[in-house]
Amino acid sequence: MLEIEDLKTNFNTYDGVVKALNGVNLTIKDGEIFGLVGETGSGKSVTCYSALKLLPKTGEVVGGKIVLNGEDITHASESRLRQIRGGEIGIIFQDPLSALNPVMTVNEQIGEILVLHQDEEIKKLASEKEIPTYKSKKFQASPGVEFTILAFCISFISLFVMLGQFTFSLPFLFLIGMMFLRNYLQRDLPQSALDLMVIDALSRVKLPNPEQIASSYPHELSGGMQQRVMIAMALAGKAKMLIADEPTTALDVTIQAQILQLIKDIQREENMSVLLITHDLGVVAETCEKVAVMYKGKIIEEASVNQIFKNPQHEYTKALIEAIPKGGKERLKVPDIGEPGAI
Amino acid sequence: MSEVLITIENLRKYFPVKNVWGTDVALVKALDGVDLKIDSGKTFGIVGESGCGKTTLMRTLLRLVEPTSGSVLLSDEITNNNFSSNKLEELTSEELRNFRKQIGVVFQDPMGALNPRMLIKDIVSEPLTIHGKTEGIREKVVWLLNNVGLGEEHLYRYPHEFSGGQRQRIVIARALALDPKILVLDEPTSALDVSVQAQILNLLNDLQKKYDLTYVFISHDLSVIEYMCDRLAVMYLGRVVEEADTEDLFSNPQHPYTRALLSATPSFEKQKEKIMILGDVPSPITYLDESKAKLATEITEQERLEIKAIEGKGIEYIVRSSLNEHLSLKEVAPSHYARVK
Repeated sequence: MLEIEDLKTNFNTYDGVVKALNGVNLTIKDGEIFGLVGETGSGKSVTCYSALKLLPKTGEVVGGKIVLNGEDITHASESRLRQIRGGEIGIIFQDPLSALNPVMTVNEQIGEILVLHQDEEIKKLASEKEIPTYKSKKFQASPGVEFTILAFCISFISLFVMLGQFTFSLPFLFLIGMMFLRNYLQRDLPQSALDLMVIDALSRVKLPNPEQIASSYPHELSGGMQQRVMIAMALAGKAKMLIADEPTTALDVTIQAQILQLIKDIQREENMSVLLITHDLGVVAETCEKVAVMYKGKIIEEASVNQIFKNPQHEYTKALIEAIPKGGKERLKVPDIGEPGAI
Repeated sequence: MSEVLITIENLRKYFPVKNVWGTDVALVKALDGVDLKIDSGKTFGIVGESGCGKTTLMRTLLRLVEPTSGSVLLSDEITNNNFSSNKLEELTSEELRNFRKQIGVVFQDPMGALNPRMLIKDIVSEPLTIHGKTEGIREKVVWLLNNVGLGEEHLYRYPHEFSGGQRQRIVIARALALDPKILVLDEPTSALDVSVQAQILNLLNDLQKKYDLTYVFISHDLSVIEYMCDRLAVMYLGRVVEEADTEDLFSNPQHPYTRALLSATPSFEKQKEKIMILGDVPSPITYLDESKAKLATEITEQERLEIKAIEGKGIEYIVRSSLNEHLSLKEVAPSHYARVK
């Protein structure tokens, strides 16, 4: 599915060149959950951002090859990359609230991805069901505008009633009446094909009441629901691969268990490949089949999950496993690793 | 049996929720009747998910927020029979200052707890100057820094020049400045990597042995809690649902929420039984209106969907709505309390 060969990424800073990746080799097969573990600054996130060319301006890929489904995308054009991001590879970020746009409803955000990557599907659905493609014929001002109009009308009516000039308030009464009449007449108009697909995307991640969630803003949802919306967005473009960058770090353990279960379920149902980036060895043990340990921009050990915990080969992996506190009261062994990152 | 240092009795803290007109319509019951005993020289752990009241409990313990009702009783070891009362809420402001000398706090985010424009020597010496212990202040600061594995060369640096683990060491040094008897640790390692976390936990254990400190350790990471704590309280929605010695609680959890919490912690050591908690955390808001006041105990829409998703996979589950029922704390085993039927 995704092959990364000898990937090298540098960051140019005022203090010199930071070699974030020093030759990373990764192969993720079809339908596999692959874990990438490492500490802060070991280069796990940079690996995934380099693969998708999402690096900030100071970062650059200086060597190596990225192959997606047999296609070399190392020097792919920006337009091709836009098709890949979201269309073939979906991404989930660590903090759902900062990854979601706070001034767009969930409906608009998922709709954006669907229009970009699933346009033909939407048109097909619209012509099949004979419903509008993108926008329902329903006229709806935003709730704020409607509320303001209503408040104005009522205040004018009460003003004129107090002045004893009831006749002057009739136009405002008429306006309020029209608003209710419009809602009544529009009640049977169908939703657009885009709306239906958004609702479908939300119900795939097991969200209750998808219609209601679609029309809400990110801050109205709980952390677990926000992360579910992020997963729905990553899957909306019918991606065959999912990159999850610390998807559960911001969540509580019980919600974390729910989200990991959801990722596992979806992976099995749709036979996707998942690259799970995390610093938590426990998460890897519960979710992944294969795991690679990163340290200072290199993969120092790669093995199946059973092997790496039973029989870690590299000193650093051993130290990392021993640093996790366990029940006993013996002193924790601290891995002697020095400062992360190499300049 | 060691001596009890602090006794918390039926502590309640309600935050009012006001409507547009400023009248109270509901209460957020952050603490809803908490009883705890903190033993001297031991580590007392508090676990629970976000929003369950861990931090409010810590803040009432320091009297940073005034409790709605209930009391915090201090033992003679803390009061030295100098205080007018052994109840925390009845102390005068002068006595409160004396009390706060004996309790140090370490917060979660070390960068947020350190003033970025102050030198390390000023940060660590600030509590000493405030409490008027200016004699030999430099030696004291160097001694404190040595205690946490830092040295004299760090005195004239700013917080941003340190790594996350070193910053947390500075915060610990400052908390120890007034020779406290108790150290309250609010998620001291959740912002750190495992290797750095191991260093900090080792340091805390060393300090406890050296100075006979009592720790109140708040965390949501059960592996850290299991390693550090002697006794443990599990909180859920402002109540303590289970309290026991750590070994006892980990080997024999009684409350369904505790069992789910233990099984939800990812681990690679042993294949435990898996219990999922389904549904979202209910809101801690209690409406004053009687008809809306009771939390629903029937299954919600989301829970039904999630049950459908995992049915037939052989995974055990509990639903959150079943936890809403209010049960009283019972002694299920010697010094092991749980809210079970």
